[in-house]
Amino acid sequence: MLSSFPLSVSHLTKRYADFEAVSDISFEVAGGECFGLLGPNGAGKSTTIQCISGFYPATNGHIFLNGHDVSLEPKLARQSLGVCSQEETLDSDFTVFDQLARHASYFRMGRTASAERARRLLDEFGLADKAKAPVENLSGGLKRRLQVARALIAFPAVLVLDEPTVGLDPDARRMLWEVLGRERERGAAILLCTHYMDEAERLCDRVAILHKGRIIDADSPANLISRHISRETVEEEVRPGVYWKRRANLEDVYLKLTGSRLGVA
Amino acid sequence: MRMPDALWGIRCVWLRYFSVFYKSIGYYLVTTFIEPILYMLSFGLGVGSLIGSFSAGGMHLSYRSFVFSGIIAQTMLFQGFYEGAYGGFIRMYYQKIFHAISVTPITLSEVLWGELLWDASKAALAAEVVALIGVASGDFPLHCLFTLIPLAFLGSLLFSGMGLAAAGFARNIEQLSYPQYLLVFPMFLFCGVFYPIERLPAPLQVLAWVFPLTSVASLARTLTLGFPFQIRTIPIILFWLVLLLFLSRRAMFGRLVK
Repeated sequence: MLSSFPLSVSHLTKRYADFEAVSDISFEVAGGECFGLLGPNGAGKSTTIQCISGFYPATNGHIFLNGHDVSLEPKLARQSLGVCSQEETLDSDFTVFDQLARHASYFRMGRTASAERARRLLDEFGLADKAKAPVENLSGGLKRRLQVARALIAFPAVLVLDEPTVGLDPDARRMLWEVLGRERERGAAILLCTHYMDEAERLCDRVAILHKGRIIDADSPANLISRHISRETVEEEVRPGVYWKRRANLEDVYLKLTGSRLGVA
Repeated sequence: MRMPDALWGIRCVWLRYFSVFYKSIGYYLVTTFIEPILYMLSFGLGVGSLIGSFSAGGMHLSYRSFVFSGIIAQTMLFQGFYEGAYGGFIRMYYQKIFHAISVTPITLSEVLWGELLWDASKAALAAEVVALIGVASGDFPLHCLFTLIPLAFLGSLLFSGMGLAAAGFARNIEQLSYPQYLLVFPMFLFCGVFYPIERLPAPLQVLAWVFPLTSVASLARTLTLGFPFQIRTIPIILFWLVLLLFLSRRAMFGRLVK
């Protein structure tokens, strides 16, 4: 059974030898909720993910995955976790299908259940015709899809996705959004890191803006926009002498909070 | 509860390696077994015919038998070191396999044990194949295939630890050449694989005994040819084994976990 907050991060601080990458951040993600973590490069998003997955030990604070402290009970905690990291970590010694089936075995899934789950995911991600292909033969976009599919292998209660749609064509991006919709219906808590603001605005129930290791604001995209951007429309010079009027969006909030580029407010 | 869990994790990782090995058995047969067999043919038949028989370890024996036995130890060194160093570096740095598995219920510690035990298993298997060839050629008694197993495994584990430690400390793959040229090749040439180290000047003999291959080769000859057992081989091997396993894990943790 999924606890009401499958992912809970409380007062997480991560200090490296020479600097503090994450400073006292807290948030919870409910089952069926998609929570966005937005921020510039170096804001601490990837460090947060490394801590959530228990790979990097937190300097301070606690992270609970489905009620288990990831530093005290890493195995139990990670039984509920699916991670798609920013960098490619596919096991290139296996074919597409074996990749998924092998990964399932790390979660103690039986052979039949693994195979069935792998087949289902390949169908869902449009990879069924590549099942027997070696991973290295896949294009960048297909590898990305496979890596997201791999994160879903053990029906995770907590799904952590770091830039899942980088390199995907618009078609594949929409397919992935649909998959995430189904994961949400299943009751998974989703943590999404992305630089695509339209994606965050579309998918996330709430987003947190992370800047220099701190959460500077967190709310639903609509609330953030209405709180930070006073006007409903924004005028932007897109090319010299060409102005576009458009609805204010999450990107305006992001730019304003993390280092204003547009003169809106 | 914890212990069986950890063993299960290590077993999972070991099986991952085994399945890759099994799927590409042809490739691994060539890369694992051809090299020692070439050494055996070249030194055993070529150099062996030049030297014939000679005295070593208080026995009169053919050079072929002597060098076959040394090649058992050398196989543990090469197969263990190269799999740990280059294989380990590629899996850690390029394939990022350690990272991918360590965010599942399997911990990084278990991944590293699985890696070390697999590298050692593969090198031990190669050493046993060398011994088997020696048995077939009539140089070794049949029972040595069994008595060699603990040495083959621990010796291979020792050199796999050396390789994985090198992979953990190397900043890039080129830097693996340092331990290769400063440690592996000197051991290969001066630790009694090709000639009894008693032929070396006394100071070099002392130096040769510091390095673990001398002890591994000495024990291999005790088990295959009945050379006198030298008690010092045990503490030397255990010392290096513990040191290198410790260093390999420390280097990898230091490298991967920030």
